[in-house]
Amino acid sequence: MPHPLLADNPGETHLLLGNEAIVRGAVEAGIQVVTCYPGTPSSEAPDTFFRLSPEGKYYFEYSVNEKVALEVGGGATLAGALTLTTMKHVGVNVAADPLMTLCYTGAPGGFVLLSADDPGCHSSQNEQDNRIYARLGGMPVFEPSTAQEAKDMTRDALAMSKKHEAPVMLRTTTRVNHLRGPVEFGNAPDPGKAKGFTKNPSRFVPIPAFSRRMHLELLDRLDALREEAEKSPYNTVSGAGEIGIAASGISRAYLCDALENAGLKGKVKVFDLGMSYPLPETMALDFMKGLKKLLVVEELEPVLENELRVLAQKNSLDIEIFGKNLLPQNGEFTVTMVENAVREVAGEQAVTVDCCEGRDNLPMRPPNLCAGCPHRGAFFATREVFGDDAIYSSDIGCYTLGLLPPLSCADFLLCMGSSVSAGGGAALAAGQTVVAFIGDSTFFHSGLSGLANAVFNQHDLLLVILDNYTTAMTGHQPNPGVHHTVLGENPSRVDIAKSCEGVGVEVIRKVNPLNRKKTVAALEELKDMKGVRVLIAEEPCPLYARRITRQSKPQVAYVTENCSGRYECLEKLACPAIYKDGDKAAVNELLCSGCMLCLQICPNIKAKKRG
Amino acid sequence: MSDVKPIRIFMTGVGGQGTLTATTLLTQTVLHLGLPVTSGEIHGMAQRGGVVESTVLIGCKSPKIGHGEADVLLGFEPMETLRALPYLKPGGTVFSSSEYMLPLSVATGRETCPSLDEVETAVKACTDDFRFLPCQTLGLEAGAVQAGNIALLGALAASGKTPVTVEAMAEAIRANMKAKIVDVNLKALELGAKQDA
Repeated sequence: MPHPLLADNPGETHLLLGNEAIVRGAVEAGIQVVTCYPGTPSSEAPDTFFRLSPEGKYYFEYSVNEKVALEVGGGATLAGALTLTTMKHVGVNVAADPLMTLCYTGAPGGFVLLSADDPGCHSSQNEQDNRIYARLGGMPVFEPSTAQEAKDMTRDALAMSKKHEAPVMLRTTTRVNHLRGPVEFGNAPDPGKAKGFTKNPSRFVPIPAFSRRMHLELLDRLDALREEAEKSPYNTVSGAGEIGIAASGISRAYLCDALENAGLKGKVKVFDLGMSYPLPETMALDFMKGLKKLLVVEELEPVLENELRVLAQKNSLDIEIFGKNLLPQNGEFTVTMVENAVREVAGEQAVTVDCCEGRDNLPMRPPNLCAGCPHRGAFFATREVFGDDAIYSSDIGCYTLGLLPPLSCADFLLCMGSSVSAGGGAALAAGQTVVAFIGDSTFFHSGLSGLANAVFNQHDLLLVILDNYTTAMTGHQPNPGVHHTVLGENPSRVDIAKSCEGVGVEVIRKVNPLNRKKTVAALEELKDMKGVRVLIAEEPCPLYARRITRQSKPQVAYVTENCSGRYECLEKLACPAIYKDGDKAAVNELLCSGCMLCLQICPNIKAKKRG
Repeated sequence: MSDVKPIRIFMTGVGGQGTLTATTLLTQTVLHLGLPVTSGEIHGMAQRGGVVESTVLIGCKSPKIGHGEADVLLGFEPMETLRALPYLKPGGTVFSSSEYMLPLSVATGRETCPSLDEVETAVKACTDDFRFLPCQTLGLEAGAVQAGNIALLGALAASGKTPVTVEAMAEAIRANMKAKIVDVNLKALELGAKQDA
């Protein structure tokens, strides 16, 4: 029996995560090609496609980065395949170059980009609002607010994209990707084969002479898509009165509950925008007619607010518009926050929410490298050799957590892959040794081009490649370097050492970072050298080993009675399996993964058989 | 949705404890009862050992709970119960584990956790309606430490504070969990429900 997400089972209702609902929506649209680069909060969408790929009727790939994912997806839609490409919001920065051009050439097979934004920075370096990218490129935007909408909008965005041959953005936020709700299924037709490629260089090759015309065609497409927005079932006006509220995305859910709480349901006019770009201007004008006040409820940038302000100005409407003056331009909203903005516009007293008092300054639970994480060994040895004398150029992955004391191995970080290139830049300006850290997946994402640059420009850089055989941070997705995936052996592995050799690195060493002596010796040797040198620290992530290859180490550590209470193990390693027990250190056997790093720094810690 | 009285349940625990499994099960139970439900989870950088917060909302559209909005607070760890107290409406209901999972800074002796008495005092200042259960112990008694979360759900179900009943939850366990863990979780549910009797 096929998996329920793939089966043709209309009428069934399933409880789905927002990201799973997106998968179902794509299946109902007849998706043919899916590409991605994983990243929270988007990851469960591609991971679900991947898990189901053996029985799915679509092609799926984890691309090496977002630009490549968008290009593979772009090529597929140019050749007539209905295509979905997924990434987190900052990934769109990486993919922006091909995206802007794809908006010009159009997408003959249909193309939807899932941009998973992260207001509140739950798991990101910024909270950029990618609705602005959609305006920059000229792509319609769908913004779901429930699991059902996530499914329906994915399906309908793909269908609309195919109809107009225009790339479409499905813009979610963390709350939508990670909410769970009931979803009623529709049909899941057989997607059949892609149409294939139709040669038409004047349409698909953006040399300036063709691009000028392409831009005009894009503007025409946007006009046609504005008409679609005018009649979209996701755009509605309800209620009555002289006060209006316009909302998009998850804010629509907050608004719905806020009006319920305030007892204002039906007493104000509400403009719900599920398909939020291009703005359905006729509908918006109709909505604004007769309003004295208008509140715009949207998280992050005043995108919709500004468009409605322009529309009001163009049409000389006498209407007072509120938005970012009442609601913040950063972070997430809450129902109460929205309720109070509504109350203020309605001239009602704000509610003060009584809440229980917690307690400040409770011990935190900061993310920490897991027990047995091989990165701990690499960082420990690096500090032993370089201490504070080197500048540590970090990158994006679990190893960013090397930032925390006592390991303290991250001094700066820009973006995926920057450890290599920004590391080279810092070295030439600072005149100091730079040690850069990059993981295997990030190396293939965008470390390789920086490495070629470093060789070519004769940078002075010690690059430590932390190869833990997986993309650990985002949930153990495969990358070109992995030996195994959840579906079995990787038949086409790309070797990291050979890749370094290929771009011209002459000094390459390999160690197991859990072997303290050998790692220190290798770093000492590389410390005395100049130019680009690479140390590959190879050891599988213990969580990956347990889950994917079903391997765990047979031994655990224990502290002998001779423990002197120096707590060097605690203070130097910060391993979550080691704790203070009275005046001695102790090891939590359930947490200990058996890496045996602690045995190498204290003679009073020994190994024994697990269990 | 307005015909169902809204109930907002805020859940908090420590990564690796099974907070999200419990959240999904509770959501499935509400769905089985035919009520409008949505749930949310935030676990961005929460590797093992980080805080995991989640929500289950009955009769609401939004998946998020702000400060002072929760009718029920389920804490799978006592210090996390204390940390999450601002989400609770004064006079709301609290079910919490009484057994700690020490954060690294406490395990290494750099900081100390508030005592269970201190946690109880803080809870008492907000509400009379609370109950502490030794969840890990109950989980172990049922057969697996992770099942302790289900014991807490059992206590919630038995309390009648929400439309969720012990029978409905047992049904959801049978319908949605892998066969080999069904019995352990049913046992944990029963142990938790008994605690509330």
